[in-house]
Amino acid sequence: MMKSRTRSALTATAAALTLSLALTACGGSGSDDGTNADGSKQLTFMFRGGEDEKAAYTEAIKQFEAANEGVKVNMIVTTADEYATKLQAAITGRQIPDVFYVEPGQVQSLATSGVVMDLTEKVEGSDVIDLDNIWEYGVDSYRFDGSVQGEGAIYALPKDIGPFSFGYNKTMFEEAGIELPDVDTPYTLDEFVQVAKELTQDTDGDGELDQWGTGLNVTWNLQAFVWGNGGDWINEAQDTVTVDTPEFAEALQWFADLQNVHGTTPSVEQAQTLDTYQRWMQGEIGFFPVGPWDVSTYNELDFEWDLIPYPSDAGTPATWIGTLGIAASNSTKHPDEAVELVEYLVANVDAQQTLVDAGVQIPNLIDMADEWVADTESKPANKQEFLDVARDYGRALPANNTYSAQWYDEFFVNIQPVLDGDQTAAEYVKEVQPKMQVLLDEAIAASQNAGS
Amino acid sequence: MAHVPVADDAPTDAASAPIAAPFPGATAVEQPSPPLRPRKSKLHARERRVGLLFVGVPIIGFLTFTLYPLLFSLYASMTKWNGLGPMRFTGFDNYVKMAGDERVHTAMFNTVFLMLGIPIGLILSLVLALALNRKMRGTTFFRTVYYVPVISSLAAIAIMWQWAFNGDFGLINQALDLVGIQGPNWLADKDTVKPAIIMMTVWKGLGYSMLLYLAAIQSVPASLYEAAALDGANAFQRFRSITLPMVRPVTFFLVVTSIIGGSQVFIEINIMTPTGGPEYSSATIVWHIWRTAFNYRDMGYASAMSIVLGLLVFVVTAIQFRRNARSTFSVE
Repeated sequence: MMKSRTRSALTATAAALTLSLALTACGGSGSDDGTNADGSKQLTFMFRGGEDEKAAYTEAIKQFEAANEGVKVNMIVTTADEYATKLQAAITGRQIPDVFYVEPGQVQSLATSGVVMDLTEKVEGSDVIDLDNIWEYGVDSYRFDGSVQGEGAIYALPKDIGPFSFGYNKTMFEEAGIELPDVDTPYTLDEFVQVAKELTQDTDGDGELDQWGTGLNVTWNLQAFVWGNGGDWINEAQDTVTVDTPEFAEALQWFADLQNVHGTTPSVEQAQTLDTYQRWMQGEIGFFPVGPWDVSTYNELDFEWDLIPYPSDAGTPATWIGTLGIAASNSTKHPDEAVELVEYLVANVDAQQTLVDAGVQIPNLIDMADEWVADTESKPANKQEFLDVARDYGRALPANNTYSAQWYDEFFVNIQPVLDGDQTAAEYVKEVQPKMQVLLDEAIAASQNAGS
Repeated sequence: MAHVPVADDAPTDAASAPIAAPFPGATAVEQPSPPLRPRKSKLHARERRVGLLFVGVPIIGFLTFTLYPLLFSLYASMTKWNGLGPMRFTGFDNYVKMAGDERVHTAMFNTVFLMLGIPIGLILSLVLALALNRKMRGTTFFRTVYYVPVISSLAAIAIMWQWAFNGDFGLINQALDLVGIQGPNWLADKDTVKPAIIMMTVWKGLGYSMLLYLAAIQSVPASLYEAAALDGANAFQRFRSITLPMVRPVTFFLVVTSIIGGSQVFIEINIMTPTGGPEYSSATIVWHIWRTAFNYRDMGYASAMSIVLGLLVFVVTAIQFRRNARSTFSVE
């Protein structure tokens, strides 16, 4: 009696172990039909971000669940570093979340592989969302017509757009007795150098500089000056790397000279953001970039600051706009609910208010943004600059609309000698262009391959 | 039913009964064992089945989690594939491309360069182990101190060292400043980023190697030292001729595992230099593979690089085992 019971228990254990392993191996393709035990529909929303996003989306989801009885939303939050890897793993394992963040650079591959849903019809006929009230740049970033990005069907809606603007330390200007910059007319490049030189000072007379005109990280600031000088990384057809033009080289050289020739930035060797970022926050830097996500931090600083357009010789300034989108999975069990959830996350007024109040983004809804700008109580005073970037002169980062960003990243890998003054910009762009072109050609080939 | 008078909590399983009562005298009523003959009993067959089920667990695990992914990536390495869409077979294109890919060469070189930390770490940990083997106060305290980095999260450590290496406010440069040296911006300078990372990995691994060495040193028979001392060997001779050969198995183990681990360095690179460092000077091969696969969506090429890396690690380890087998040391 006893013996046989032990034996069968043993057999059962072994069988259970084997079976469970075999089941796990199958990737749980079994019983998930998107319905909970109580019969309610289950949606999964995967995103990355901090507490502010989580709070805002919890609010939006609560309202979505109230409007859609019997639908439950499960949130999966990851860190920014982990997100791309986790999403890729989820897609490869066919465990695609119903709703998730995408970057503009992912749109082509996700759309051609049929991972993300074409939202066009549902969104255009929606009563939750009004496309005209959302930044056009944002929506267009997620359009793809099969060959060109920026046109055609909508594969995601913008979670936000991040106009990357330029700021100055007003207190420093006043103490130095320098005329404040005009909020509408950008400095010319020469004027900018002139002011930056005047700001670079030894204020306490100990023989060492205490404040500098500027200190800009090349990865995020060079775009404004290259574009402002008429250069670009890529041609309009998105098939040729154009960094080897004179306009481009001139802008890059000018950027490097801020440090090497004019001495308007801290330490010669370092272009690392952290250092100048810290110095800006301590009030030692005159001009520094400002993204909407910086506003809450900068408003805590001990000095007055405001926004101005980036310097430009062309009269019209230029800079880039970041964006992140929210897409719905093509394989979701509940397509209508998934799309509606996207709409809630993107356009819910309370959620937007939470994010704007937290000082991490500008309103996604245009009417709300106009109201926000009109409010003169909150800093910065010239919030309008953010909207000008969003509406008029902001552009996509060069690799946003290509299949892969490898060609663009290549540009920055070996740039340090130029910034240190050991190599001229003209030499460098001539050297790097062919390497970038090879990588861009590969990206184009990969894109055609994925589509076929 | 149970003829064998064993205690209630002893195994009642028939197969284990003879083993359970091996003491003569304790088993007065033990029956003589049945004569040996080919076992074909029903019981035996059932036991075999249960056995197979147990063996099946790791085998299925191996097939699904090791062999299948391995074969799959071998196939993927011969395709153009973005990880989402269809795979297009391209033969050895990826491997040919790798041979001329500057970035892959740089990443390989960086990975090997970072392994310079292995001998440094081994020497330091052996010295530490010798020091902590002496009879002095506070050894337990120091053992704990040196072991704390081992059990700490690598990500947290990487962030901590990233701060320590900061050019302006970092602990290391502040310390250097006290003795009048102006430290570099460690992680932003292509000449100092690799030494900086080596420093960190040595620090992190020290406690582990030290503990293994300590255990090995303590298991060296004292009689060997006594005999050597009688023969007039001085402390250095005793160390060279007794301690060093006796801890050789541990050294071998540490070298093999460190090289395998060292060829897979990823987390510290990704956290401390998220873009692969200035001029790609801190990009390791695994980091480059990860970036190719997940940032640039070139799974096929990334698979090919992984296969080559796997083969290299295999070959290097095999050579080490052969060399070790040829020069085995034993005490007569």
